[in-house]
Amino acid sequence: MLAVSLGLPEWAEPIVRYMATEGLKGTARIAVIALVGSLVIGMVLGTLLTLRFTLVRAAIRGYIEVWRGLPILVTVFMVFFALPALGIRLDVFVSAGIALMLWGSAQVAEATRGAVQSIPREQHEAAAALGFGWVGRHVNVILPQAYRRLIPPLVGLLVNILQNTTIAAVIGATELLESGKQSIERVAAVPPAGYGEIHSFEIYGAVAVVFFVISFPLTRLAAYLERRLV
Amino acid sequence: MIVAVAWDWSYWSTFGGELAAGLGRTLEASAIAVAGAYAIGVVLGAARAHRIPVVSQLAAVYVEVIRNTPILVQIFLLYFGLPQFGILIDPFIVAWLSVMIWGGAFNTENFRAGFEAVSYRHREAAFALGFRALPAFLNVTLPIGGRIALPSTINTSISVVKNTSLMFVIGYAEFTTTALHINALSPRTWEMILTLGVVYLTLVWTLSALVRLLEGRLALPEEAR
Repeated sequence: MLAVSLGLPEWAEPIVRYMATEGLKGTARIAVIALVGSLVIGMVLGTLLTLRFTLVRAAIRGYIEVWRGLPILVTVFMVFFALPALGIRLDVFVSAGIALMLWGSAQVAEATRGAVQSIPREQHEAAAALGFGWVGRHVNVILPQAYRRLIPPLVGLLVNILQNTTIAAVIGATELLESGKQSIERVAAVPPAGYGEIHSFEIYGAVAVVFFVISFPLTRLAAYLERRLV
Repeated sequence: MIVAVAWDWSYWSTFGGELAAGLGRTLEASAIAVAGAYAIGVVLGAARAHRIPVVSQLAAVYVEVIRNTPILVQIFLLYFGLPQFGILIDPFIVAWLSVMIWGGAFNTENFRAGFEAVSYRHREAAFALGFRALPAFLNVTLPIGGRIALPSTINTSISVVKNTSLMFVIGYAEFTTTALHINALSPRTWEMILTLGVVYLTLVWTLSALVRLLEGRLALPEEAR
């Protein structure tokens, strides 16, 4: 209905509706799981990485290097195959979300470590001189400043996570790209099931446009915050 | 819940050859893509840094479009979108071309930043010695700026290598696709996961070690800043 008023051809109308509801909803589901998980795990691990416990640090280092080093598609398949082998059954959205979370949390941890360590020594000393203990010093002085510096890279990470949700298509999660793929097949089906037409370029092009429209302002914002906040 | 994995050692003796062939195709596509991405990056990065009219603006559009759309969508457009207009590209060509276009955009930014970091005093000195624009670029800006940009371009190259795994979606039998196809016919989940992990991490960690080594070795001496 909406699409008709936009003057779209007949074949496009049900597709636009399907992709805008099912597709975008799937993308959002994966992105939310990945983003929340990455933030929580990444910030905790990154902060712990600045402590002096060698063993803890080595373990976190290993976690970061493994999940940052693997191609995301490989991680997606690892999670997709490993969880059922361990007797855990999750739907494809959650599986993909977990895979992206492993990758994203490694990125956040590394950024957090950098941010915490970028706070100059004098801040520690000044807080200590004011009578703050180790915990008070971190909670009240160091971490608030460090987390502020994290904002620009986190906006960049949001863009990356959004774009990488498309990789969930390989395990059949109906996110935006997969919904586009299904739509292409539907339009190409022999009438009356479909229209017997190939519109792959328009549909994948539309997917690219949607991602661009979301990502471009965010990358600009990240660059702007980078200049403002640091 | 307990992962009592009885490794099937025959996995590697049976499929080792096939996996090695897949890894070979990963490296082949990566090598072409990395080389191309460097060429694109140097040329367009220079155009951006020196604000060459038209080319600079087109390069900016190219960079923003590639950076702000998912690479998987770019691959789908090349491989499944273009055939609508009768343009059919061989999977191997799509394999290196798509990651080359992607890496080229990131390298354009890497080299732009590197070239812009070269102090104008150096270029002025070159001009005073009678160098024209192109020789000044080749003899002064490129060696200094390229050195500044090198670590970040290697990081981009690492991402290019990792992104060849996405060729699974076009069925090009590079390493990941080969491992997954073997697993579809004769499932050995843990053996596959271990193989993928060890091979990719070895590749990526080796290249990252190279970045760290070069960062130390190639840091510009004080007088060149």
